[in-house]
Amino acid sequence: MALANFETYVPGRSRLHTWTPRLKLVSLGLLMFAFAAVRHLALVPPMLCLTAVLYLLSELPFSFLLKRLSYPGLFILVVVLVLPFSTGETVLWQWGALALRQEGIETMFLILGRFLSILTLGFILLGTTPFVTLLRALRSLGLPTLIADMTLLSYRYLFETAEMLSTMQRSMRLRGFGQQRRKFRLQRQDLQRLAGLLGTLLVRSYERSERVYKAMQLRGYGQLKRPVENPSIDSSSALLTGFSVIAALSFVIVEFSLPAVNL
Amino acid sequence: MHIPDGILPAQVCIAGYGLTGLVTWYSLRQINRKGDPSDQIPKASLLTAAFFVASSIYIPIPPSSVHLVLNGLLGVVLGYFAYPAILIGLFFQALVVGHGGLTTLGVNASMMGIPALMAYHIFQLRRVGSKADKRESLDDSFDGRAQRIRVGLFAFLGGSIGLAIAALIFTGIVITTVPADFDFDTERAAIVSLLILHLPLALLEGTFTAMLAVFLHRVKPELLTGR
Repeated sequence: MALANFETYVPGRSRLHTWTPRLKLVSLGLLMFAFAAVRHLALVPPMLCLTAVLYLLSELPFSFLLKRLSYPGLFILVVVLVLPFSTGETVLWQWGALALRQEGIETMFLILGRFLSILTLGFILLGTTPFVTLLRALRSLGLPTLIADMTLLSYRYLFETAEMLSTMQRSMRLRGFGQQRRKFRLQRQDLQRLAGLLGTLLVRSYERSERVYKAMQLRGYGQLKRPVENPSIDSSSALLTGFSVIAALSFVIVEFSLPAVNL
Repeated sequence: MHIPDGILPAQVCIAGYGLTGLVTWYSLRQINRKGDPSDQIPKASLLTAAFFVASSIYIPIPPSSVHLVLNGLLGVVLGYFAYPAILIGLFFQALVVGHGGLTTLGVNASMMGIPALMAYHIFQLRRVGSKADKRESLDDSFDGRAQRIRVGLFAFLGGSIGLAIAALIFTGIVITTVPADFDFDTERAAIVSLLILHLPLALLEGTFTAMLAVFLHRVKPELLTGR
């Protein structure tokens, strides 16, 4: 499991890195939803341009985007590549039963454009904000304490749990699990052993959580409720926020003022 | 079975977040009703991490293999904590592997989480008809075997129904909201074939959940108390 890539933050001193996290989260979130509302193909180029400008402003390396986009990109390609051959009326090219249709191609570009823009905005957010800062920003926006604490604790133990599972799986393989070559049948015993593996992982995690809770209590967990501090807002952050909110609203207004499409 | 960014219209994404907000509020209310939840937080968190990691376990079905969704099992083990756990797990998954997305987080959480809560309630039905004061019996006596059968049966129902309903919601959302003008017959054929494809997976998920619940019932019964 690719847990080594979990920390997506790329240190830097760009305007987007210093953007007040709370405002950055709200602004980029609004833009993402505005992009999700786009249904006109004419809005795809400005959407991609705005995303590119924000990415350039973030000063994140291009390789970061390529690496992050490769897996979900492959997934979406599989989904949308069917569209040009399956939907629409206007046939552009035909070869036997295979027909390339204009409406399908337009839908494919629309989905790909939205996907690329929204995902890139998400990576800008994660690439310019450390995970813990992002969580603090979410907390200041009203995320319940229980969820914030659970997220932090799960994040803290994710890597160790993954390590524990990989050690257990290695031991299983060394004891012969998965070595017999079976052609077409799932063995009940295999399923039982995998259930035992996950069960043991759960029991170990549960027992560890009891020790963790005792340690947390000794350090005063739950005794002192500190209010969430909100950092001051600088002029650059205010400018970026204003620009993003206006851009998001413009996209929504233009989208709904254009004649309805059937894409 | 995650819906990525860019596929769903904004209205559906916002509605997904609205529904997730509502169900999260309800789950937290139910959790807080049982007193101070701070002692439960580490348990739920570490189990969330374990479930997240466990979703990478592949079940060998020669000549291929499948990975489990485990949403029904999450409901069976975590109770009302299953919804926040799924929300967190999906958030991590969007971060780590780019599965799902940030705009579709609400939709995906509802799709997985609501069936998980249903699985929890189905699993709680194992106590219907049995005496409330009866202690967990782990030996091979008649009582012990009857309890194991009940645990296995209701865990199977929880696991398989949890996945089946999630698959049903997934299929419904994808077919009705993907911006494509499929005709009615194509849509119906797609829904039916996707559901038929998911049926053996629901049975597999149910069997795995039952095996695991029986294992936990024997080894660590307090993990199945359903808090």
